[in-house]
Amino acid sequence: MKRLLFLVLSALLAVLFVFSFVEDSTREWTGYQRRFMNTLERAERRGVSTGIQQVIVSDLRKVDRCTTCHLAIDRPQLALAEEPFTSHPALPGEVNKDGDPTPFIFHPIEKFGCTSCHGGQGLATEVKAAHGDVAHWEDPLLRGPLVQASCRQCHGNTEQIREHVPMLLEGRELFKAKGCYGCHAIKDFGQTVSVDLAEVGSKSYLLMEADFEMMPHPHDRIHWLKRKLGHPRTLNPGLRPEELPAGEEEVFASAMPYFGLSEHEVDALTVYLLSLKASNLPASYVTQALPEPEPVYASEIERGEAVFVKFGCTACHGIGGVGGRRNVNAGLGEEVPPLLYVKAYYEHDVESLKNVIRNGRQPTPRANPHRPRPPLYMPAWKDRIPEEDINALVAYLFSLSDQLPEAPPAPAEVPADTASN
Amino acid sequence: MADAKPQGFSLKQYLKKTKLWKSIFRHDFADSPRTRLQRIFGNVFLHLHPVRVAKDALRVTYTWGLGGISFYLFLLLTVTGILLMFYYRPASMLAYQDIKDITFAVTLGRLLRNMHRWAAHLMVIAVILHMVRVFLTGAYKPPREYNWVVGVILLVMTLFLSYTGYLLPWDQLALWAVTVGAQMAANSPMLGNEGPFKLPFITTSNDARFALVGGTVIGDATLIRFYVLHCMAVPFLFTLFLAVHLWRVRKDSFSKQTGEKVDVWPHLVSRELLATILVTVILFVWSILLQAPLESEANLNVTPNPSKAPWYFLGLQELLVYFDPWIAGVVLPTVIVVGLMAIPYIDTNPKGIGYWAKMEWRRYGPLPVWYPAERPFAVSIFMLGVVMWFVLIFIGTYCRGPNWEWYWPWESWSHRRITKLTLKNIPNLWGIALMGGYFLLGSPFPKQVKERLAAIGGPKAPALASTALHMGLGMLLSVALFVPLLTAPDLDYPLRSRYTTLFEALGHATNAPVVMAMYQLVQQAGRVVGYSLIALLVLAIGAGLGWLGLRFAKFKDRLCEELGLVKYTIIISLYLMMMGVLGKILLRLLFGIKYLFSLPVFNFNI
Repeated sequence: MKRLLFLVLSALLAVLFVFSFVEDSTREWTGYQRRFMNTLERAERRGVSTGIQQVIVSDLRKVDRCTTCHLAIDRPQLALAEEPFTSHPALPGEVNKDGDPTPFIFHPIEKFGCTSCHGGQGLATEVKAAHGDVAHWEDPLLRGPLVQASCRQCHGNTEQIREHVPMLLEGRELFKAKGCYGCHAIKDFGQTVSVDLAEVGSKSYLLMEADFEMMPHPHDRIHWLKRKLGHPRTLNPGLRPEELPAGEEEVFASAMPYFGLSEHEVDALTVYLLSLKASNLPASYVTQALPEPEPVYASEIERGEAVFVKFGCTACHGIGGVGGRRNVNAGLGEEVPPLLYVKAYYEHDVESLKNVIRNGRQPTPRANPHRPRPPLYMPAWKDRIPEEDINALVAYLFSLSDQLPEAPPAPAEVPADTASN
Repeated sequence: MADAKPQGFSLKQYLKKTKLWKSIFRHDFADSPRTRLQRIFGNVFLHLHPVRVAKDALRVTYTWGLGGISFYLFLLLTVTGILLMFYYRPASMLAYQDIKDITFAVTLGRLLRNMHRWAAHLMVIAVILHMVRVFLTGAYKPPREYNWVVGVILLVMTLFLSYTGYLLPWDQLALWAVTVGAQMAANSPMLGNEGPFKLPFITTSNDARFALVGGTVIGDATLIRFYVLHCMAVPFLFTLFLAVHLWRVRKDSFSKQTGEKVDVWPHLVSRELLATILVTVILFVWSILLQAPLESEANLNVTPNPSKAPWYFLGLQELLVYFDPWIAGVVLPTVIVVGLMAIPYIDTNPKGIGYWAKMEWRRYGPLPVWYPAERPFAVSIFMLGVVMWFVLIFIGTYCRGPNWEWYWPWESWSHRRITKLTLKNIPNLWGIALMGGYFLLGSPFPKQVKERLAAIGGPKAPALASTALHMGLGMLLSVALFVPLLTAPDLDYPLRSRYTTLFEALGHATNAPVVMAMYQLVQQAGRVVGYSLIALLVLAIGAGLGWLGLRFAKFKDRLCEELGLVKYTIIISLYLMMMGVLGKILLRLLFGIKYLFSLPVFNFNI
């Protein structure tokens, strides 16, 4: 009996030993390497080394093992059409001495590695882990046009690379046009109504307060940003009194407005937001370029409109000041006031209007004093918008009433709240 | 064995006579009593064994091989640990990357790490179970008291080894588990910067936490400190104590001596071999199927919610809900360890050595009870302690989610869930009365006192006095609990704590069920009737507690007589403290009581 047990257990142990060695020597990447090698001629094989391949970039503290499977990434002559054996495409204008398009001339692989542009987990040697599609790796692979997000790390000024990063530029324009700066700062520009987005492309999910709880899988930075942009309130729907213990104050849904962005716009904005990363790049990686041209304005009103957009007033007051952003429990019908009637109201009291802009209006008066404070408020702009720009802004705001179909209504119809507070 | 007929020149026979052969193979391999003995004597690794051992001691169901398995796991951990050390650099810039390398690039590295991790968990379990086995078979009783103490030290060192290893992967799991543990050190009485009665010269940069962490925050200094402790210092000490432990097993002889004596080779050695192979197979399968966790790289700025200590300390972390950290994290563990060490010195019952505690089914009123027949008191308190420890660990591991709220194991966590518990402190004087009354319930009625009382007041006087004492204490407890509950202002302690109680999870709407029930009673039945009913209830509870004390009065007196006052005091204090932990849990869950005694100036709260 004991002998039998001994034999069985020993045999089992031997099997387990063999199994682990076999498992270890047939890991995922070995299959890819075998498949690739089988496509090569004998002579071609000689130049391709097998085993785990890695690119070590000590300047960036990167060890990227992507080339273990992406074996033809820098060998166009051996590349196949199927992944992972394709070669890296050359950028427009990236040619060798003979004028043939050649990758890695602008960005040598030894200097940049793979993950510094493409994201993912360079140290991993398994597909899912390497592509960052696993828990506890917060730097997912930037597929397709998302990779444009990485260019900004070195090309902080995108002038030089305009044609390569259409999505990034579109995202940046959208960020300005939709007035995101009205609530979100990015480093030194923008308001502080909501979180600073300067490192939203790299900061940890917990610090981002990425509330994955209310969204379907996959739970990563890319999908969270898309969800947040497309359906801001679904991520943070707030807590109604009946969901809370007695006496606890209700929590409103996220104050971020629903912008009705198209899928393409969401993608572009995601690229831009992913490009906002904490950076500790060596100075030698950072490139210089021509400054962006200074805008020229035909009139004071046009300048005022530019100011209105630049500082993100559109986010709450709507494009063209038409209003309509929801602000729960605020006076004035739980909405941010439209600006079409500013002229009617302030035409003879410009200084009051300027003071509202300068000092903001906070806290926002409540519709129901027993419910919590409305999440959106008019911030103070005096340290952000220069005085000349405020004048231009006032001119622009007064011009808005021209859009009204008829003569402006009598002051009595203007909600009293705008004045009393 | 091939028979060796002398027929001319045999190379084997020639070789066997050379000095070289004899240096390597020191004895013949024929299975004779002589070689069986030589195998044990002549082998440095086997000579810790006796040559012969009682047959019954070899029964698997007697020891379950737990001590040997623990020892084997220690060896296995040493081997896998040494192999891992080849690939690991204890620096915050490198450690996490090295673990990734071990996982993804090193040949069999992942298996190695999995095995090291799971073996460590298994060793903690094996050591605890070994202790339970030794207790239940009475193997700590004379002459083995000292070895029990060494064993408790080895248990503590096992936990500390595991704890120091927890930090090394330098991921979020490691960092925050160690933070929880290190924070307990900061709450040591006198020596911790956040503990009660801290000494005047204690600051964050010289307190107990600083000594453990090697700085004011967990960083490179902690990593190298834990690395040295984990790989060198503690294993070194562990080996020393292990040598003593094994040597004492030989010297004190084995606890089971029945049955004929049989040779250790092959009977015991083969069983040991089988056990090691079995454990290896289990660990192998475990390591192939389950990956050791590795979360994001450690980041001091990002605190996961919840942050949990390693599982074997989660019972203590769960107790943080009911006690201040200096009690849950420092005093209670100390009392547990010292109490464990004291067991063989206070348990003088000579029965129960060498066999498992005898259990039988008895009827207690209408309930069938699985009752330890021979050492009822010792076995039941020890097992109650062990069960409490594991229940608390279970709760901490599987039932606690974000904000340390109660979640059933099958429920998914939600950071959006908010619950509120309004708590109360009991005024200090009432608290002293409550705790004093509770501990006085353990006091015996010594013989001399009884005789004096009988001399003064007649033969019935001692019984009457005992009844009066116990009933009085019961009433005191009940009154000291309910009077402040009724009279102290309702939001005496305005902190809005977010702890969920078990009762909330069960669907009771209120956090302090007893308070709300009394409130409802007064609301529904009117003041006069309501308060009268409450008064009756208080009296009934007091009488019940008194009756309970009275039922154990004879037992207490007998115990006190048998053990003497000193041992009795130690044993009854340990017992009452353990039950007190349970009591404090109930006080919080049922009555919404946070502190029984509070001196905020000294950061001293009970």
